[in-house]
Amino acid sequence: MARIILDTLSKQYPNGVLAVDALDLTIADGEFFALLGPSGCGKTTLLRTVAGLENATGGRLLSDDRDVTHLPPGKRDIAMVFQDYALFPHMDVADNIAYPLRIRGEHRTQRRAKALETGTGLGLENLMDRRPGQLSGGQQQRVALARAMACQPSVFLFDEPLSNLDARLRLEARTFLKKLQKDLGVTTIFVTHDQAEALAMADRMAVMELGKIRQVGTPAEVFHRPANTFVANFIGSAPMNLLAGETADDGLRIGGFTVPFPHDSPRLPPGTPVTLGARPEYVDVVGTSTPGAMAGTVTIVEYLGATALVSVQIGDERVPDGADPVLGLTVQAMVAEGTEPQIGARIGVTHQPNRSLLYAADTGDLVSGTGSGTGSGTGSGIPGSTAATVSTTP
Amino acid sequence: MPRTAVATDAAGLGRARAGGFVAPALVLVGLFLVFPALWTIYLGLTDYRLTGLAAAAPKMVGLQNFRDALADRFFLNSLWLTLIYVAGSAIIGQTVLGFALAWMMQKVRPSVRGVVETVVLLAWLLPGSVVSFLWWAMLNRRDGTLNALLDTPGYNWLIQHPMLSIIVFNTWRGTAFSMMLFSAALQAVPPSQLESARMAGANGAQQFRDVVFPHIRGHVLTNTLLISLWTFNDFSPYLLTAGGPNHKSEILPAFIYNRAIGTGELGYGAAISLIMLVINLIIALLYLTLLRTRKVKT
Repeated sequence: MARIILDTLSKQYPNGVLAVDALDLTIADGEFFALLGPSGCGKTTLLRTVAGLENATGGRLLSDDRDVTHLPPGKRDIAMVFQDYALFPHMDVADNIAYPLRIRGEHRTQRRAKALETGTGLGLENLMDRRPGQLSGGQQQRVALARAMACQPSVFLFDEPLSNLDARLRLEARTFLKKLQKDLGVTTIFVTHDQAEALAMADRMAVMELGKIRQVGTPAEVFHRPANTFVANFIGSAPMNLLAGETADDGLRIGGFTVPFPHDSPRLPPGTPVTLGARPEYVDVVGTSTPGAMAGTVTIVEYLGATALVSVQIGDERVPDGADPVLGLTVQAMVAEGTEPQIGARIGVTHQPNRSLLYAADTGDLVSGTGSGTGSGTGSGIPGSTAATVSTTP
Repeated sequence: MPRTAVATDAAGLGRARAGGFVAPALVLVGLFLVFPALWTIYLGLTDYRLTGLAAAAPKMVGLQNFRDALADRFFLNSLWLTLIYVAGSAIIGQTVLGFALAWMMQKVRPSVRGVVETVVLLAWLLPGSVVSFLWWAMLNRRDGTLNALLDTPGYNWLIQHPMLSIIVFNTWRGTAFSMMLFSAALQAVPPSQLESARMAGANGAQQFRDVVFPHIRGHVLTNTLLISLWTFNDFSPYLLTAGGPNHKSEILPAFIYNRAIGTGELGYGAAISLIMLVINLIIALLYLTLLRTRKVKT
C-alpha cells in the first residue's frame, strides 16, 4: 500500500513530443484512481512512466517517501495489468500467475501453492492447468490480475482493463474490478478513454489533454463542475451543450434569445463573451413562448431506451432547404421516453440555472462559482474581471 | 449443356484439362530432376568411369561401391569434415551470428539498421563464385587483405587453416538468411509480454528464456533445418581450397567432385551422392519430427 506522488513529472520522447508535461499529482494510499482522456493525451505514457517502462525525462516520482523515478520496473513494487493481458502462451495458468515469484527465486512447489491460492480467490482454481489460449477473455483478464496480485505489490496499474472484453462482460468486469480493488485496498491507477468507465469505477480521476491534467476530482465533481469546456465536452454520455453567447444585464444573450444566468455566476460586465454549459439531462423541453426559453426546430431524435436525446436547431426560422441542420446553434435535451417531440416540431428549451455553468469564451475555463476544489483551471480567463470571478453571485 | 465427365474441382477444369496445365512443369521436373536422380542410382550400382574400358561398357557391380565407401578412410574423413563444416558454419556460425545481429538490430536507429541489413544481405545475394573470389583475395598469401590487416605477410590461411577458412567464409556468406528470419520472428514477440516480464523483475537472460525463445522456437528449428541442408550440400568451398591441402577441407560435395570428375570414378561418385541424399533425408525427418512434437505440446 502506498501513496504515489508525481512531482513535475515529465516524459519527452526523443522526437520532441512532450507526452507528459510537468505533472503534479498525489494519489492517496488505497485510492482507485482513473487517468481519463482521448487518444494521444499522454495517459498511457504517464502510466508506463509510473511503471518504469518509460524513463521520466524530468521531475520525480515518489512511492510513499521513496524516490522511484529511476528505478527499474522490477524494483518499484508495482504490478501492471496490460491491455492485452500479456499472458505467456506457452505457460499454463499456474505458471503465469507464479511468474513473478519464479523471478524472485521461490521454489516451484511454493510457487504453485501461492498461484493456486491467488487463483482460487479469483475463481480460477479449476483452470490452473490450462493454457491462456484455452481461456475466455474474462478468464484471461482474471489470470492477468492474479499474476499482478501474486507478489502483493503496493501499487496496481491497469492499462485499459476493460477494452478487450465484449460489451456485456465489460459491465460485469467493471463491478468486479471495483469490488476487488476495495477488498485488496491496494492503490490502483487505471487508464481509460471511456468516461463512463472512469466515472463508474474511480474514487478520483484526472482528465488529461495533450500531456496536461485538465481537472482532478471525484467523478461527481468532474461530472457536475467540469473545470473547463474540454472536460465538459469529454465527460457525460451525451456531451454537454456549450452555447456561445455574451452577458447582458438581464441574462445571457444566446442566438438572439435571452436566458437566465446560471445560479452561481459571477457578475460580469455586459457584453462579455461567455459559453453556457448545460448538460442535456438538465435541459427541459417547454413551449416556444415560455420566458427564458430558446425556441427552435427539432432536427434529430435519438432513442436511448428509457430516454431520448432531442437535437433542437435554435432560431426563429425553419432550417432553409439544403442547409446542413447540424451547423449553427444546436441544443440537445434529454427527455423521458414517450415525451419526445416529433421531428420538425417547433419547441422551446430551457436550461436549469442551478445545474448549468458559465465558461470564459476565450480560455474555456469555468467562471461559475469559486473554490470548486478541482485544483485546476486556474486564471480567470476574462480580462479585467478577475475580481468578478472571485465573488459569487446568486 | 450436360457434360459426361463432371468436374469436381473448384475451377471446373476436370482432370484432363488440369493435367494439361501441369504437364509442362511435370515434363521439366521429370527431365531435370527425376531422371538424373534415377540415373544416379543406376550409376551408383556400376563401375562407370569417365575414361577407359569401363566408360565404354560399364558393368553392374551391385553394392560394391557402397561397401567401398564405408571402408574408404577418405570418405569417412570427408563425412567427419562435413559434420564440422555444418556444425561450425551453419549451426554455430550462421544461426548464432544471425540471431545476434537480429537481436542487436532491434534497438538501433532505422537508418543504421537499413545499412547493416543491406550489407549483410548483399553477402547473401552475391553468387558463390564471386564470394569465393572475394575471400580468395582476402586470404591470399601474397598481398591478401587479411595479411595486410594483421601485418602477417606470406601467411597462407587457406593452407594453414583450411577448415576454419571455409567455415568463416560460409558464415559470412549465409548469415543474412538467419538474420532476416530471426528479425521477422523477433518482431512477432508481443512487446507487452516482454514488458510484463520486466515488471516482474526479469533480467535480459530471463526475458529471453521465458518470453523470446518460446515465441521463436519454431523459427529456430526451421532456420536450422534449412541452413543445415544448404550447408551440407554446399560446393562453393571447393572454389577456395579444392578440398585441400591433402584432403583437409574435403567436405562431401568436394569429395564427390574430386572422385567423380577428378579421378573419373563416376560410379563411385554416384554412390556417395546417394548416401548424401539419404543423410539429407534423415536430417529433414529429424527436424520435422521435432517441429511436430513442439506443435503438439503447445
